[in-house]
Amino acid sequence: MRINQGFSLVHVWGVLSRIPKTRNPWGYLGFAALLFLVIWVWTIQIDRSLGISAFASGWILFGILAFLSLFSARKRLPFLPLASSSRWFHLHAVGGFLALFLFWLHTGGMWSQGLYGQILTALFYITSISGVGGLVIEKIYPRQLTYSGIEIIYERIPGEIAEIREEVESLILKCTEETGSSTLAEHYLETLSWYFQRPRFFMNNIFGSHLSQHWVRQQCMILERFLDKNERKYLDGIYVLAEKKRKIDFHYALQTLLKTWLLVHIPLAAAVMAMVFWHLILIQVFFV
Amino acid sequence: MAITTQVRPQRWDQPFGLFMTDQDVERLLAIPEISAIEESKFPSHCPLRGILKNDARIVKYTAGDIVIREGDYGNSAFLVLDGSLKVVLFPGLPGEMLGRRAVRKKNLWQVLKQLWNQRKVPEVRDVKRYGLQALVRDADDLGAAHVFLQDIPAILDKNKTASLGRGALFGELAALGRTPRTSTIFAETDAELLEIRWQGLREFRKYDQGWRRLFDKRYRSNALNAHLRATSIFAHLDDEDLQEVADATHFENYGKYDWHLTYKKLRTEDKTHGMKDEPVIAHQGDYSDGILMVRAGFARISVDRGNGQQTLTYLGTGDFYGADELYRAWQGELNVSLRVTITALGYAEMLRVPSKIVEKHLFPYWSSGKKRERKNISESSIALRRLQDFIDQPLTDGALMEWAVEERFINGTQAMLINLDRCVRCDDCVRACAATHDGNPRFIRHGKTFENWMVANACMHCADPVCMIGCPTGAIHRTMSGGIVVINDDTCIGCETCANSCPYSNIRMVSIRDEVGSFITDPQNQKPILKATKCDLCADQISGPACVFACPHDAMRRVDFKEAGLDENKSGF
Repeated sequence: MRINQGFSLVHVWGVLSRIPKTRNPWGYLGFAALLFLVIWVWTIQIDRSLGISAFASGWILFGILAFLSLFSARKRLPFLPLASSSRWFHLHAVGGFLALFLFWLHTGGMWSQGLYGQILTALFYITSISGVGGLVIEKIYPRQLTYSGIEIIYERIPGEIAEIREEVESLILKCTEETGSSTLAEHYLETLSWYFQRPRFFMNNIFGSHLSQHWVRQQCMILERFLDKNERKYLDGIYVLAEKKRKIDFHYALQTLLKTWLLVHIPLAAAVMAMVFWHLILIQVFFV
Repeated sequence: MAITTQVRPQRWDQPFGLFMTDQDVERLLAIPEISAIEESKFPSHCPLRGILKNDARIVKYTAGDIVIREGDYGNSAFLVLDGSLKVVLFPGLPGEMLGRRAVRKKNLWQVLKQLWNQRKVPEVRDVKRYGLQALVRDADDLGAAHVFLQDIPAILDKNKTASLGRGALFGELAALGRTPRTSTIFAETDAELLEIRWQGLREFRKYDQGWRRLFDKRYRSNALNAHLRATSIFAHLDDEDLQEVADATHFENYGKYDWHLTYKKLRTEDKTHGMKDEPVIAHQGDYSDGILMVRAGFARISVDRGNGQQTLTYLGTGDFYGADELYRAWQGELNVSLRVTITALGYAEMLRVPSKIVEKHLFPYWSSGKKRERKNISESSIALRRLQDFIDQPLTDGALMEWAVEERFINGTQAMLINLDRCVRCDDCVRACAATHDGNPRFIRHGKTFENWMVANACMHCADPVCMIGCPTGAIHRTMSGGIVVINDDTCIGCETCANSCPYSNIRMVSIRDEVGSFITDPQNQKPILKATKCDLCADQISGPACVFACPHDAMRRVDFKEAGLDENKSGF
């Protein structure tokens, strides 16, 4: 396919892939705004020459949405020489913001008329919000994970927690055998076992709260006054393991969100594409 | 409480040859090359007989067996006791004949074919492909399998060869210098060879004048001139002057050749402990007596700081140090001493070019209006940065390098470095690697971390590839172009030698499956057939390493620490 003035899709891709990459979300936004301005001016000129600018903005929007959905396919084909994934990500982010601006231009407002249009708009907004949300957490969370002081592979988290739980329980058994006191064991059964059972404080970790840290410290402090010197030695050991578990919980929460936001974004994007496609057919059949 | 006791481990607890007897030693002592050695020169803790019994072994080869392959790394030399060998000189045997894999980039069609050739189960192999294993002779008494050549007359017809007969010694330069073998040698007739591991060679060189002279003479005639010529500071010399420099150069060895065996233990020790144990090559504050050049291995450059040593950088093969100090002293500056301490990292083989020779051949050249050139050249020895910059930098600026040196990541030429501040832990890199490698990733996105940097468990394609030492079939090798360390799956016999040798645990053994997904087993014992796998840097992919290509956040790079620009703001990484 050739566009006038001798440009081909290969040339367009060549130009796109030379655009300097930015890692700043404001950079993506700014670049998208710049492109939008060009398109907006063009649509004004179409209107002035008594054309229908909605067709132009609609087709461009469709093209951009199609390009955005290709990113997911590109990720599944890492061996194809289709430019680096980071280049795609950059263009995907810019294209996402541009699609949002073009959507407003195309619909002539923030919301649409008619049930079909409203469903499409709602899906489009949720997809956009999930995309922007994903972009933000991908910018913020990696550093937070680094600063936690540990590094753990997501799939190994259940195993790690089970290992910690075993260590804690063996410490408690040892304490009971050595000191003859069941205080620590009882407290474990009443309270701490809940904590060591599986990842906890998910939402608190997502929002950066220190509740889990406070909870762990509090549980150990509550118990301390009921223990003698020998038992406290074991409590110290449990506290160290509880702190390790807290960091793992933190990784679990953040990594879960980093991995699962795409489970919202991609299916919704697919639904948007399907509805856009049907919208396109209807427009072609009834209005052109 | 019961105390566990153990006899203190001794040097020769693990002899090189399990079946060496006193009769074998007596026999060896009678052959001219060994009988010429003065037994009395050897200390009581390291007698000649002990070396022969424990650091050497007698190996038998059948006609056609390959003894050493061009490009292989090895840690032993050979003395021909009986039989005749052939050295393949020109044009050399094709890689396939040596058990190597020809790495070719896939064309577009082959790349596209990967779309529908993906298997549901990992590590599927076409067993018919393993025809080359027919060229592997079963393990002998020593546990070593031999690759043999077929149709020797045709090989002799097509290649220029030289003969080695009884009494010939070969392989010592590559063994002592940790450099690749330069030729392929195979048994022309049934042959018996004495294989001496590097520890024994080192003692021979140390205690026997004759062997030392032999080694030094061979090194001077075979490799030293080329090494000096390749060094920028002597590039201007003509052949005669270069020969004079070569004749005056001293050889020095520091540290242990098999540093990788103790590396993992070292990691668990106190951080400063390892450095204290490093052999000192030159000490800060001493007067320089020559230019120090690294022939093989690595050396740490450090300065006294507080109560410890601060690592500034390191020297690798071809790097040198000491020219600046000597030059300043030659120009009349008083009390010029070494500004740094140089220690061997693991092991280092050094060349010391005496100051008199340097003053005769180098400094007049530098002072004859070539000052600018001198500056560039002398600084090139430490990665184009002025030494003073390293000394002046705050501790935090050099911390990453300090860590990389401490962990020996400097050995890597393609270390997988992940910027954790950018990595969203999406594992796209892992999936991309699996998609391009039989459905199984060739690395683990996990490893040692420092600040926001992680060196993942991926093959680093080391400058000193200890994994290649001891591979019985030469399956693990460097590609002729690019120097990437790859494994030929067809000739890998799953012995795990490479995986056990890798100090960084970056080689993994996998059980292979047939076309229907069942594990392929050995009919004799029903155990699964293992193959060694590791990162091959996607040598056959046209888009380069899939892991880097697949990272949406530019969080991953393959780096040589010396060249890596790791400043996020300056380099964009």
